[in-house]
Amino acid sequence: MSADLLPEHPDFLWRNPEPKSSYDAVIVGGGGHGLATAYFLAKNHGMTNIAVLEKGWLAGGNMARNTTIIRSNYLWDESAAIYEHALKLWEILPEELEYDFLFSQRGVMNLAHTLGDVRESIRRVGANKLNGVDAEWLEPDQVKELCPILNISDNIRYPVMGATYQPRAGIAKHDHVAWAFARKCDELGVDIIQNCEVTGFLKDGDRVVGVKTNRGTINTEKVGLCAAGHSSVLAEMAGFRLPIQSHPLQALVSELHEPVHPTVVMSNHVHVYVSQAHKGELVMGAGVDSYNGYGQRGSFHVIENQMAAAVELFPIFARAHVLRTWGGIVDTTLDASPIVGTTPVENMFVNCGWGTGGFKATPAAGLTFAHTIATGAPHKLNKPFALERFETGALIDEHGAAAVAH
Amino acid sequence: MANTAALEGINGLRDIRRSPASHLTAALETGSVQGTVVLKEGPFQTMAGVRVDPRSEQGSRIAAVAGGLPARCGEVSGTDSVSVLWLAPSEFLVVAPEEAHDSLGGDLIGSLTAALGDAPGQVVDLSANRTTFELSGPRARAVLEKGCALDLHPRSFTPGTALTTEVGNIPVILLKTGDESFRLFPRASFADFLGRWLLDAMREYASPEVP
Amino acid sequence: MLLISCPNCGSRDETEFHYGGQAHVPYPENPNDMNDREWAEFLFYRDNTKGTFAERWLHSTGCRQWFNMLRDTVTYDIQAVYPMGTPRPDVSVPAAAESGTASTAADSTTTGSAAPSTSATSISATSTASSTTAPEGATK
Ligand SMILES: Cc1cc2nc3c(=O)[nH]c(=O)nc-3n(C[C@H](O)[C@H](O)[C@H](O)COP(=O)(O)OP(=O)(O)OC[C@H]3O[C@@H](n4cnc5c(N)ncnc54)[C@H](O)[C@@H]3O)c2cc1C
Ligand SMILES: [Zn+2]
Repeated sequence: MSADLLPEHPDFLWRNPEPKSSYDAVIVGGGGHGLATAYFLAKNHGMTNIAVLEKGWLAGGNMARNTTIIRSNYLWDESAAIYEHALKLWEILPEELEYDFLFSQRGVMNLAHTLGDVRESIRRVGANKLNGVDAEWLEPDQVKELCPILNISDNIRYPVMGATYQPRAGIAKHDHVAWAFARKCDELGVDIIQNCEVTGFLKDGDRVVGVKTNRGTINTEKVGLCAAGHSSVLAEMAGFRLPIQSHPLQALVSELHEPVHPTVVMSNHVHVYVSQAHKGELVMGAGVDSYNGYGQRGSFHVIENQMAAAVELFPIFARAHVLRTWGGIVDTTLDASPIVGTTPVENMFVNCGWGTGGFKATPAAGLTFAHTIATGAPHKLNKPFALERFETGALIDEHGAAAVAH
Repeated sequence: MANTAALEGINGLRDIRRSPASHLTAALETGSVQGTVVLKEGPFQTMAGVRVDPRSEQGSRIAAVAGGLPARCGEVSGTDSVSVLWLAPSEFLVVAPEEAHDSLGGDLIGSLTAALGDAPGQVVDLSANRTTFELSGPRARAVLEKGCALDLHPRSFTPGTALTTEVGNIPVILLKTGDESFRLFPRASFADFLGRWLLDAMREYASPEVP
Repeated sequence: MLLISCPNCGSRDETEFHYGGQAHVPYPENPNDMNDREWAEFLFYRDNTKGTFAERWLHSTGCRQWFNMLRDTVTYDIQAVYPMGTPRPDVSVPAAAESGTASTAADSTTTGSAAPSTSATSISATSTASSTTAPEGATK
């Protein structure tokens, strides 16, 4: 667990090509999801004349800002299926992408602090097992055994009454994941074009036929939106609405410390989650800022509250120093589930609404979205996550159900 | 409305009534630094929550009983023995000494209720809703400033002003009673937390100042 | 932390408030006539504006009253505060430059000498005067 274990890098992992005048498909957004989508389009569907357009630098959005928790212990069948598929892909991807992005299956614990939490947690463990997701219920002494620095005393406001535990869950190094996908995309012939902002769409009737960018117009057969916090802005340009609200989501890291925290601990009730990154910094986050925001920053009291929660759960953090805090723009839906599928615009597809928890889904989002774009119809894993569910009422409400939504 | 006031025999229960921070009495005494900053829990008060449009007729009737209704945020109106705190444009807290309570021979709640009559509005006996802390001394403001974001400088927060805000992250009504004295009204369930929070904030003043 | 100017209480820390999302979303006039698409729009679709956004806030630890606010969702600059039930003010001219110190916002944290004496239950739809501009440095 130290800096010198990080892999060596060549000077360049991908080319910086000029945009061509036309592509078979254009992916808008060069975050994790955009890159994974391009990779699977090329690899699984043979679509290599495609481009990923990114308005900033590669994976500089939420992909650069998330706290990298990977787990699949969601309550509902539809969610368990897609997140568990993602987890299985994470298990094979380092080899497939020939890149060690430090996927570490150190387990994730979701703490229960009230009787309501306990009941909900045990129900979720049951649901997870039925869906083939590894899950256990831990009593407080087992919690302490796995994570000795946790305060399980009865004498705190919200004592630890147990936890769910998913041993195969964990963390990965987010920027390395992006670079791994980018390098493979590049090898397969995908153009990754940075500093290329999509500013509008060319349509022929209800069908999209091209994108306008700050680097010129690009014709394309198909467009896949992977713009996370900016999805609504792009949808508006294309002439349709999304049931998305963009909020700031913040996180922080401490200075580097010796390894003290062996797993990932999340607490919905006290509201913080903590892991220790490979280099040694404690990584913490909590919930979104209440207001809509595209500012990639939030309010300080949100950071203060999550630190207070962390110190309550981990008294030894009381003297750790904050090194930096930051924010991303997360695309939340009312049922806390993503939207992956077709749109009212022909040949335009959308992957968004992953909100506070889409990093873990990166490979499955890419795989299913690529399938949707290539075939024009959803993969069975993303079919339930269609935009139409807000009309049919078939919501997949993962709000309270899946503990902290990361 | 105000049923508790009418209960016969409530006086018999008076002796066993305990105030929400009574368990902290000794701690408040030891934690106080005489001449610097002193914290006490205040005596029981009679409190009535009033919702009424102050510009209406019933508003005027209530104002007559209470000694006026404050017109804006911060203002306190009333008589020598009754204070009326502004909570919102049409919501007020009437505070009086305990004896004003109907169960103890007073008539505050009853007369407010009568003044409202059948008109739209509300008079609710809230005497058990909040307790009070009295914080005073030259360091009282400094103690509050550790957990209250308002501008408490005497140039803008003057005696006789009351504001609904947060102190130590919990909601309180903060009344400035004198140049160096404040009354805090936390809800009963927050009394323990706020008492301990204030004690903690006062602690440094027990030690000699580091030059 | 946003510094929000409550029309009744003056400027207070964001922690005293609750967010209420997009403002000016009317309840459907004829709910019985609506199809699933229209219900979806009403229940689940809200504007997600990048830029000036009209939104509702509740001063939950203070006067417990709702009000509307125009805020830039990129800079977080608060451009106007105005009562529920009044139309969205036009702030195409940058508010701060136009109004200088003539803000009608209840000043600072204290006795709010200029706070409009609007009733909680019936804010007159004509009281555009209480549409206020935010004080300097309203956001951090
Ligand atoms: C603080 C924080 C913590 C998080 N923690 C976790 C966690 O622990 N676990 C987890 O699973 N998830 C977590 N998430 C969520 C996760 O980061 C996101 O769900 C996921 O990264 C979204 O997919 P993405 O990587 O493609 O998004 P992004 O990286 O945001 O990619 C979207 C890209 O689109 C680009 N774009 C936008 N508009 C345009 C345009 N007009 N033209 C061109 N490009 C455009 C943006 O610049 C951006 O690079 C967290 C998020 C944040 C902010
Ligand atoms: Zn207010």
